[in-house]
Formats: sequence, structure tokens, C-alpha cells
Amino acid sequence: MSLFILAPLPGCGEQPRPLESRASGPVDFSGAWELDYSQSDNLQARLNALVRELQRQAGPPGYNQPAAAISIGASGRNSGASIVGLAQMAEYITRSQLLEITQGDSDILVKREENFALGCEFHPGQTSTLETPLGRETCGWDGHQLLFRVFLPEGLTIQHRLTLDPAGDRLNIATTLVSDRVSTPFTVNRVYNRYDPTANGIRCRLTLTRGRVCTTESP
Amino acid sequence: MIGLRPALALLLLALFSGRSLAQGFAGDVDALPTPVGTVALRVDEPPGDYALLDVGVVILDPGIPADTASHGEGGIFPEIRRAEARYLPVLLRDALIDAGNWGAVRVLPEAMASAELLVTGEILASDGMSLTLRLRAADATGRTWLDRIYRDEAREADYPVAPGADPFADLYRQVANDLLAARERLGERQLLQIRQVALLRFASELSPEAFSSYLRRDGSGDYVALRLPAEGDPMIARVERIRNQEFLFIDTVDEQYTALFEEMAPTYSLWRQFLRESAIFRAQYEARVLARDSDARRGSFAAMQEVYDAYKWSRIHAQDLDELAQGFDNEVAPTVIEVSGRVYRLNGALDAQYGEWRQILREIFALETGLPITTR
Repeated sequence: MSLFILAPLPGCGEQPRPLESRASGPVDFSGAWELDYSQSDNLQARLNALVRELQRQAGPPGYNQPAAAISIGASGRNSGASIVGLAQMAEYITRSQLLEITQGDSDILVKREENFALGCEFHPGQTSTLETPLGRETCGWDGHQLLFRVFLPEGLTIQHRLTLDPAGDRLNIATTLVSDRVSTPFTVNRVYNRYDPTANGIRCRLTLTRGRVCTTESP
Repeated sequence: MIGLRPALALLLLALFSGRSLAQGFAGDVDALPTPVGTVALRVDEPPGDYALLDVGVVILDPGIPADTASHGEGGIFPEIRRAEARYLPVLLRDALIDAGNWGAVRVLPEAMASAELLVTGEILASDGMSLTLRLRAADATGRTWLDRIYRDEAREADYPVAPGADPFADLYRQVANDLLAARERLGERQLLQIRQVALLRFASELSPEAFSSYLRRDGSGDYVALRLPAEGDPMIARVERIRNQEFLFIDTVDEQYTALFEEMAPTYSLWRQFLRESAIFRAQYEARVLARDSDARRGSFAAMQEVYDAYKWSRIHAQDLDELAQGFDNEVAPTVIEVSGRVYRLNGALDAQYGEWRQILREIFALETGLPITTR
């Protein structure tokens, strides 16, 4: 469904490519974005594709052997619960319908509705890394694509790959989940279209003592 | 593993109180000074007018590392630090005024070499829970009165901040007491010398031809008055008049800092309260999450959602703080810019008038003494 060309994704055990502090060319993600369901992946279709891939890895069905080598309901690697769980997680993580992105020369902030913002600072020769007791986040450029990787406990890694279409009015976020309980990563693409949040004539700014202050006056 | 998690949580809590300071001291935990504790301000009667030195408190170095990558890790919000650098000296000035042991106490936009007593310093850490400043004080002769790191910790009762109060008032009181103790180590003759040297340094800056011979620097670089102008010397009277003019300008600058202080105080107090509550909440939240045992099976949606949500809420919390910092900037920055602009204009005017006055004074000197007119 997506119109974007995606780079190969790191799978389990694969070492992800190092990220750069500069994009290979001018890319500006700044702006307000809203989710386009019609252009985004159908999660059920992606789940079906994952199941087919796992079956392919498990080998062709043999005599007296069922086609599915996936242990639905069992608790081991590639169990049904783990595979479905991964798809549910993908839906859970990518449900933001609105994004607000601010990008400067040395940083970017991707604010996501009902989720935490993805932030990245670009310092020459350094990979932007955030360490917390609950997880680790790295980010940087891979050519003209912006990547965020979130490493969480329980063997879960999440990667968001942001790609802008050449016209600059459509944004694809390919979210890949890697679990140590499923042998193949699960990727879902969400496509966002640019929109103008000030079209209603209201501008807001945050203040500490008065909260969000809005005005209809032009700047 | 079950035993390790609570242990990690306890370690996290144990480390919590020193976290921001360790960052402020570039990880040198040994350098953490002891908090000043509860301090009562000494308000003893000065021994005489000779002891009432004028004090200049220079706006602080905000202590923002040049490496911008370290700001997030160190919990440093540069704009807020810059505002603090102007705000905190006003509190020290107020403590010195309250002590009643000093002459005029002014906040200065930059160091003034001829000040009788000059306090300079740097913000090492400021996070609402604790405040750490490195402060130095030196008199006009060059003698160092104090050079130490001060640290104070806020208590829960310090928030919300009552009007006119400050969570770190003990720190300023301690500095005021230390300055008083340093002054008490000096005799009347030494204090009078400081005032004389201050005036001669000012005069020497104004007219080096006439006054540089009154001063010399000893082996350690300190200023020593070789001789004093005669009683009723009309030139020194002129110098004093011009110095009073300078003080008038500086008092106007000082008023601008006071205005900034008053405008900023409610927002800044709220910010520090948020910062403190946020840090406490975050440490407790992380400790709780790390200590929690999950019943969910590894790889299941419930298990993954649990670790994701824990991370998500910790990030949202940190980002809320960033937003609040932005709110602080939105509210305070126009005032800071306005005050800075006014101070800048005042400095400019002051400099220009100084130049004119110095030139006029030199011309008067030339007329009176027959010396050639020199320009600087």
C-alpha cells in the first residue's frame, strides 16, 4: 500500500546499521500531520504475511505434518500468543492519528497524539542516545530517512523509520517491532498527510502559570 | 532476578538525591559540598561607618556547558539558567541588605574593578531540590574574602513558595554571614584602606596620569595605596562626584534587576516546585516499576505493553517538564529581553558618558596642571 521505498529492516540477531548525525540531503519533516487510513497498512494483512513468513521459515509441510509450524497457544518461541501480541503491540504503538513535528538544524521533535514524543538531537560525530532505567532510545539519519530505535526490557525493540515523499506532503512511518519471542520482525506502515492546524484561526501557546493561552489574533 | 530489581530500585533511590549535583560537577561526586542547613542571618551592629563597605553582586555565570548535548542529560534548561543568573543575585543582595552590615549593596551587570567588595559566581546546579553556587568575593585591594561552593537543599515545607520567601534562603544567609565573618577578621585600618584603594582605582581608571602613582601592586598582585590625596583635594572631590554619578546609573540598573525579580518570582517559584515534584515522582515511579514483578508471560501483549507503558509514562513525564520549561520561557523571556535591552542601553549610555567625563576631567587636569591632554 505504501508508496515509499523502505530500507531492509534488521531482524533478530542482526546488527542495526550505525546512524548518522546528518541527513544525506535536505529533509524537513516540520509541520502538522494526520493519519491517512486509506494509505496505511492493514494490520490483519500484515499479520497474515508474518504468519506466512514464519511458516516458510519452518519449512514446507511434509507427510503427516501440518502446514503451520507455529505453536498457536503454546508458550515457546513463535507461539501464537507472541505473534498476535506483536501485532497488537504494533497497533497499540502506532495508533496516533495526529503528529506535530518541529525540526531545527540540530534537533527534531515528533509529538505524537496519545504517546510520548520522539526527540533527536544531531551532534556531529555522535549518535543521539537517551538512557533511562526503563529503556534506551537512539536516533539519527539513515540517508534521507530518520530513525528512532527504542530498546526496552523483556526483549522488545521498536524502530520508527520516517520517510518524507519527494513532494513533502506525505510522511510514512514504518514501525518495526522485534521481540526475542518471535523470529521475524513485524513492520507496519502508517502514512500521514500534511494539514494546517491554524486553519480554524486559533493560535495557542503554553505558559507556566496560566496554562495554554489561545488567541484568535493574527501574529 | 526478583531480588535484584528491588535492590536496583533502592540503589536508584539512594542515588537520587545526588543525581543532579553529580551532573553539575561533571560526575565528581567527591566534590559535593555539605548543605548549609538552617542558617540564621547575623544582624550585628557594624563597629563603625568605616566598616560599611559598598558591595557589588555581579550577575552570575549561568554555568551552561558549551556542549549542548549535555544539557538534556544534566537537566539544564539554558533559558531558565540565564534567567536564574539574573534572579539569584537579587536574593543575595537582599540578604546582605537585611543583615544591615554593609553600605550600598547593588546587583551589577558586570564586574566593576573599583568596587569596594565584589561578589562573583557561577550556578553549578539548580533543580528545585537543591541549589549549588560557586561564589567568590574580593575587595578592591584584591584580597579574597571567600571562594567556596555553597549548597542548600529545599525541604518539602519550602513549597509552595510563600511571597517574599525562597527555598534556598539559608544559602544566601550563609554567604552574608561568611562575608561578615571575613570582614571581622580585618581591622579598621585595613577596611579604610579598602575604601581608599577603591576610590584610587576608580580615579586611576579615570585619570591614570594623575592617580596611577598613588597605587602599586605588590608581589601577589594586590593593590597598595602608596600615598593618599591631600585632605580637600579638589580633583579627588571631582572623582567622587563622578563616581556618585556612576552609582546613580548602577542603581538604575539594579532597579531593573529588581523589577525582573519581582515579575519572574511567581513563575520561577512554580517552576522550581514542579521541578522538585517531578524529580521525586520520577525517581519513585522508576523505583516502583523496577521493583514490580510481572505476572505476564514474556512475549505476550500484556508483558510488552507493560514495559512500553512504563517507558512511555516516564518519557511523557520528562517531556511535560520540557513543555513547562517552554512555558516558563514564553512567560519570562520577554521580560528578560526587555530588561537586558534596558540594561544594555544603560551600559551604553554609561560607557559613553564615562568616556566624555573622563575626557573632560583630563582636560581640566591639563588646564590645572599643565600636563598634556591624553586620550585613552
